[in-house]
Amino acid sequence: MITPFVLGLLAVALAGPVPALMARWRGLHHTPFVAMLLWQSVALAGVLAAVGAGLSLFTHTTGTSDLTWRTGPITVLTVLITVTVVGRLLLSGHLVGTSLRVVRRQQRQELDLLAEWRGRVRVVEHDVPVAYCVPSVTEPRVVVSDATLTRLDEGQLNAVFAHERAHLTARHDLVLEAFTVLHRAFPRWVSSDAALREVRLLAEILADRAALRVAPAKDLGGALLAMATGRTPEGAMGASTVDLVERVRLLGELRPRPAQTVLIALLGWAVLVLPTGLVVAPWLTAL
Amino acid sequence: MKRTPRKQAKASLGELERAVMDVLWELPDGQDVTVREVHTTLSSTRDVAYTTVMTVMDRLARKELVVQQKSGRAYRYHPATSRAEMTADMMRGTLSTLGSGERGPALVAFVEEASAEDVEALRQALAALGD
Repeated sequence: MITPFVLGLLAVALAGPVPALMARWRGLHHTPFVAMLLWQSVALAGVLAAVGAGLSLFTHTTGTSDLTWRTGPITVLTVLITVTVVGRLLLSGHLVGTSLRVVRRQQRQELDLLAEWRGRVRVVEHDVPVAYCVPSVTEPRVVVSDATLTRLDEGQLNAVFAHERAHLTARHDLVLEAFTVLHRAFPRWVSSDAALREVRLLAEILADRAALRVAPAKDLGGALLAMATGRTPEGAMGASTVDLVERVRLLGELRPRPAQTVLIALLGWAVLVLPTGLVVAPWLTAL
Repeated sequence: MKRTPRKQAKASLGELERAVMDVLWELPDGQDVTVREVHTTLSSTRDVAYTTVMTVMDRLARKELVVQQKSGRAYRYHPATSRAEMTADMMRGTLSTLGSGERGPALVAFVEEASAEDVEALRQALAALGD
């Protein structure tokens, strides 16, 4: 009876308090690569623990005796929980994936008709400075408006292009998609919004770091400011304040942190491997 | 390796759509053209079959990018909206997609939205960076 209990507890911890604490640990931003891995491990381990808890309780109740008035309801309940978790994830994955593909396909078609090729980027005539990328396996695109080209100087533009290309080559969109699926599947009673927000910020930090390999921090920072200044619609929510300022703050904090990197990588490994080794393996061999 | 030729054909179809739209967008306001006229214009710069142009314009009509009107025995075509309007529409859509995050990370922006306070905080952070 211990397996489902431990896995259930683990699932609850990995769904709520652990991500909430991680979101508050700003030190993670200094080691963005392993931090991103840790977020993925925690999310995956949480889902596996939830499914594992249901499955192990099910095998426990059905394995020990025939269905009785006592074990029957528990069995039904665990099956329901497992089916709900898996079902919501699949449905959310389908909905998010479909909507992403629709938006991206439409973007590509419109860009093909409307945007000019300039070097390796597409330029759209528009007076709001904007820079973004359309992720894709075969035809990723970096897009800027011509207002961006006139507002930013050459060094700043190089920083922006390097930043966007880093998103595309590292396929940050896949990680963001996975966490969007998680958030859409469990919008409440799970810290999935904090997880999504942090993973988005980490993707930006990673792309910023890639940009710093080809451009000085003052160019990247200047580009961020110039783009933010141009993207100030009336009544905009101040939701991104922390993230933009945090990104600029981190431009000046590039000191490598080997100890923290190793520690977080180990944590990410442990959170996935330990429950499997200590809880799931004994249960499976005992079946 | 079977996919390569198909992909090339698809890419050139997109490119042809653009070429056709460019011809239509160059028309003076209120004027329309036949497939034959578009084909003649395109033929001056590229080698393209009349039927291909017809197929492309048919596709554009189905996508509601061009308006197809029967006039006598031939169809006449004109763009549904001007290039500038279509660009503005697309960017409106893009900016709202980037701003809301409602539909997931379809597009990844360099900077999403920023309020006046954001910009001020950013300026200060940058100044601190310069020290």
